[in-house]
Amino acid sequence: MPEVQEQKASGERLSRVRLYLRRRPVMLVLLTALTVVFFVFVAALSRAYKDQQTALGNRWFERGVADLSGKRYQAAVTDFRAALLYSRDNYTYQLNLAEALLGMNRRAEASAYLLNLWDRQPEDGLVNLELARIAAQKGQMQQAVRYYHDAVYAVWPSQKEIQRWEARLELIELLLRSNAKAQAQAELIGLSENADEDPGQLNLLGDLFMRADDYAHALAEYRSSLKVDPHNAKTLAGAGYAAYELQQYSLAEHYLQDAIKRDPGDKDSAERLKTAEMVLRMDPYQRQISETERVRLVIGAFNTAGERLQHCALPSGDVAGGEAGQGESLDDQWSALKPQITKRDLQRSSGLADQAMDLVFRIERQASLSCGAPTGPDLALLLISKLREGNRF
Amino acid sequence: MSLQADSESKVLADHGEPPRATAWIYEHSPRNVWRAVFREDNFFLVLSVFIGVLSGLAVVCFRYAIDWARLYLLGTGVVLTPLRLLLAPTLAGLVIAVLVIHFFPRTRGSGVNQTKAALYIYNGQIPFRTAIGKFITAALAIGSGHSLGPEDPSLQIGASLASVLGRKMRLSRDRMRLIAPVGAAAGLAAAFNAPISAVLFVIEEVIGRWTAGILGSVVLSAISSVVVMRWFLGSESMFRIPAVEMTQPSELIAYAVLGVVGGIASVVFASGIGILRPAFKGLPRWTQYFQPAIAGLLIGIIAVLGAPQVMGAGYEYIDQAMHGQFTWQFLAILAGLKIVATLLSFVSGTPGGMFAPTLFIGAMLGAAVGGAERYMFPYLTISPGTYALVGMGVLFAGFLRVPMTSVFMVLEVSGNYSIIVPVIVANTFSYVISRGLQPIPIFDMLTRQDGLELPSMEELREEDILQVEDAMQPVEGPVLDAEETVEKALQHFDGSRGEDLLVRLSPSGWSTVTRDQLRALASDGKGTAKLGPLLLVARIPYLHPDLPLETALRYIERWPLVPVVSRANFQQLEGVVSQRSVLDRYREFGEG
Repeated sequence: MPEVQEQKASGERLSRVRLYLRRRPVMLVLLTALTVVFFVFVAALSRAYKDQQTALGNRWFERGVADLSGKRYQAAVTDFRAALLYSRDNYTYQLNLAEALLGMNRRAEASAYLLNLWDRQPEDGLVNLELARIAAQKGQMQQAVRYYHDAVYAVWPSQKEIQRWEARLELIELLLRSNAKAQAQAELIGLSENADEDPGQLNLLGDLFMRADDYAHALAEYRSSLKVDPHNAKTLAGAGYAAYELQQYSLAEHYLQDAIKRDPGDKDSAERLKTAEMVLRMDPYQRQISETERVRLVIGAFNTAGERLQHCALPSGDVAGGEAGQGESLDDQWSALKPQITKRDLQRSSGLADQAMDLVFRIERQASLSCGAPTGPDLALLLISKLREGNRF
Repeated sequence: MSLQADSESKVLADHGEPPRATAWIYEHSPRNVWRAVFREDNFFLVLSVFIGVLSGLAVVCFRYAIDWARLYLLGTGVVLTPLRLLLAPTLAGLVIAVLVIHFFPRTRGSGVNQTKAALYIYNGQIPFRTAIGKFITAALAIGSGHSLGPEDPSLQIGASLASVLGRKMRLSRDRMRLIAPVGAAAGLAAAFNAPISAVLFVIEEVIGRWTAGILGSVVLSAISSVVVMRWFLGSESMFRIPAVEMTQPSELIAYAVLGVVGGIASVVFASGIGILRPAFKGLPRWTQYFQPAIAGLLIGIIAVLGAPQVMGAGYEYIDQAMHGQFTWQFLAILAGLKIVATLLSFVSGTPGGMFAPTLFIGAMLGAAVGGAERYMFPYLTISPGTYALVGMGVLFAGFLRVPMTSVFMVLEVSGNYSIIVPVIVANTFSYVISRGLQPIPIFDMLTRQDGLELPSMEELREEDILQVEDAMQPVEGPVLDAEETVEKALQHFDGSRGEDLLVRLSPSGWSTVTRDQLRALASDGKGTAKLGPLLLVARIPYLHPDLPLETALRYIERWPLVPVVSRANFQQLEGVVSQRSVLDRYREFGEG
């Protein structure tokens, strides 16, 4: 009997506990505890999952980097895509994938990734540089320049000065290829401000200034380079060309002579030196020559122009300048003036030399327009005409 | 409680305390607040938060399970070996078939419909075993490359968890019925990382009605689950959304074309399920052991032949399509192959959802249409990403037939409201075409194939509702005025055939009087008295023409004539309804 009573009592206790547990506040507490336990479990699971994902992502990324550096672009693309499976928004993975895609010349896909990266970090130098290259390849000049500028002023993780220098160089190359010389000059001036004393860099700047038709800056760069490396034949030649273009023929002669001395095989420099020497030798306007010598040079120039006329049929009328209203052809004018171009007449009449040289210059200019670029003495006379434009005895 | 509160405040008032303040203090005492929390309507809201949190945690586990299954079955890379591509879905199919047939038979079919069945048939009961079965089999199926998505199983896992909690908490039958949709919203929100779309979907497709009580619970659970999901999986959206813009209004025509193409694709997809699913179900029982495996093998062959993108949910490929990484021709092929692969997986009875495949097909189709249009009309500033995004909504609207959810889903996923006009245009075309060519929505079709008769939300939305004006008739006799004398009122009756006349009361209101009542008053010597004070019925109710006709049912049995008055002027009589006119109208409606 006591056992039965005990059983009954325990049954009652159990049912009381059950009833108690079914009360909502108790259920809510139990539910909270269950939620906390589940949360902790999922947190542990999540950590294991993320660790595994990170490890897998890194493994595929390392393979991709190896393939990319080995220029196995297809394999690199596959590897980076696999890496992105485990870390979809990983910046480095995406950037490398874009690089690999560019290696495969899949610009559209690469561009999509790069634009996405740009949205996230518009100040990233490499992303801007790659986008600039893509835009340049597509012929989108404005966008390319914008991205190049962003790349120049962007954040670079390492060797930032070198990276910026390279980005700007690329921009300048693009501008020069597009014949945007004024823009290129502006960029070159910016670039030259950051240049070291390295002769290679200075020579490169000089070459680029030459291509941008900024001969004064080019000469300055070559001269700076020559201070460090005075015997460099290429630098000497560059300086000679720059001086030549600046019509500083004496200086050009000096540099070009030096350049040929260092590199006798440099035919371009030899050719240019020859022209420079001719300009210096044939110029009747140069100072420190006697009157007799000046007359001799005028007669020589007049005869050279006459020969040019014989080989180049010029149209009637003067289209290359000269006095207005002249209806005669240059040939007729030359023939009309020819009898007066004598030593005696030239020495007697001070204006005749000017008149003769004016006709010579007009003939050479007209001939260069009609019959192509002159060579030899004709070229020298044309250069003298440019040099002495407006000058009179 | 309120009686007690009153008495206590009275006692306090007797001691000189202001009664209003004491009542407030009493009502907000910890004890009463505690009690209020556990009142069922409030407790249901609290429970919704727990449902959301637990569903979110379950969905996170489910996502991990799918990823792990994929890793171990298919490998870790993007280029998978042909052997794995063929073997993984085939062998997984065999295992799934055994699990489904012998252990988890209810994991077949759509989670949406099972949640609806819980709501409308099973009083909110969904066995927990179903959640476990769905978790295991769907993770195995999706992870091994079957062309199915995790959203529908997530929805069902959430609904099942909610159902278990509801049972344990001994909720009333009404609340129990609603608890499965609350869990479904939580599961779907966590799977999609899109709480608004999940809430809308559950309201639009499962519950079918908007009430504050339901909405509050559904929203709370959806938000809670998304918070938990983001805690573990991060808050990034499912796709990297490209810059979305529409520069020319004429592009809307291009989007309309996308809507048309999407509508047709939806019909093809839905018709495929409509034809193939019963055919597969009708095959001998032993074939069910092999159907998922054969489907898996065929999907593996498609993958080996060059389209591994069709395997699994395919979110990463949607992302790639959005960023222009496929040609439009290949995108079109992928859309077609995904339809085939999903049909194979789904009709073979492999557990898994159709949300992700729908998004995949839509995105591929959208980007393909966009690419083709750009090829044909290069002057259009078409971005394939935008078209892929709109395409997802188009298939959602056309295939799943949830027009509101489809619009909000795109907005929520893209986070860009400038896309709303193209989305609405394309989705409308798709929805209208799909509805025209395929009258039965996909969820209703699946329900009927499973031998159930659940309410069709689309039919409910479009059901003709009879209004009072449909049964309203013109007033036959004169309308009496309360200021008239009894004798004059009797004279009005002489020209009328009816036994009842309406009386317009002053300054407002209506009453009614019968011929016999008037005669009795006249014979009592009250012939010269004003009618108003003598009326036996002081006032009768009145109706407005736009009210549902069922409102009239409350009054017509008691009142022979119920006035129908203008909402602008209650004294202006528009007509009357009677029991006969209402019943006649219902009879006509029922006859068709």
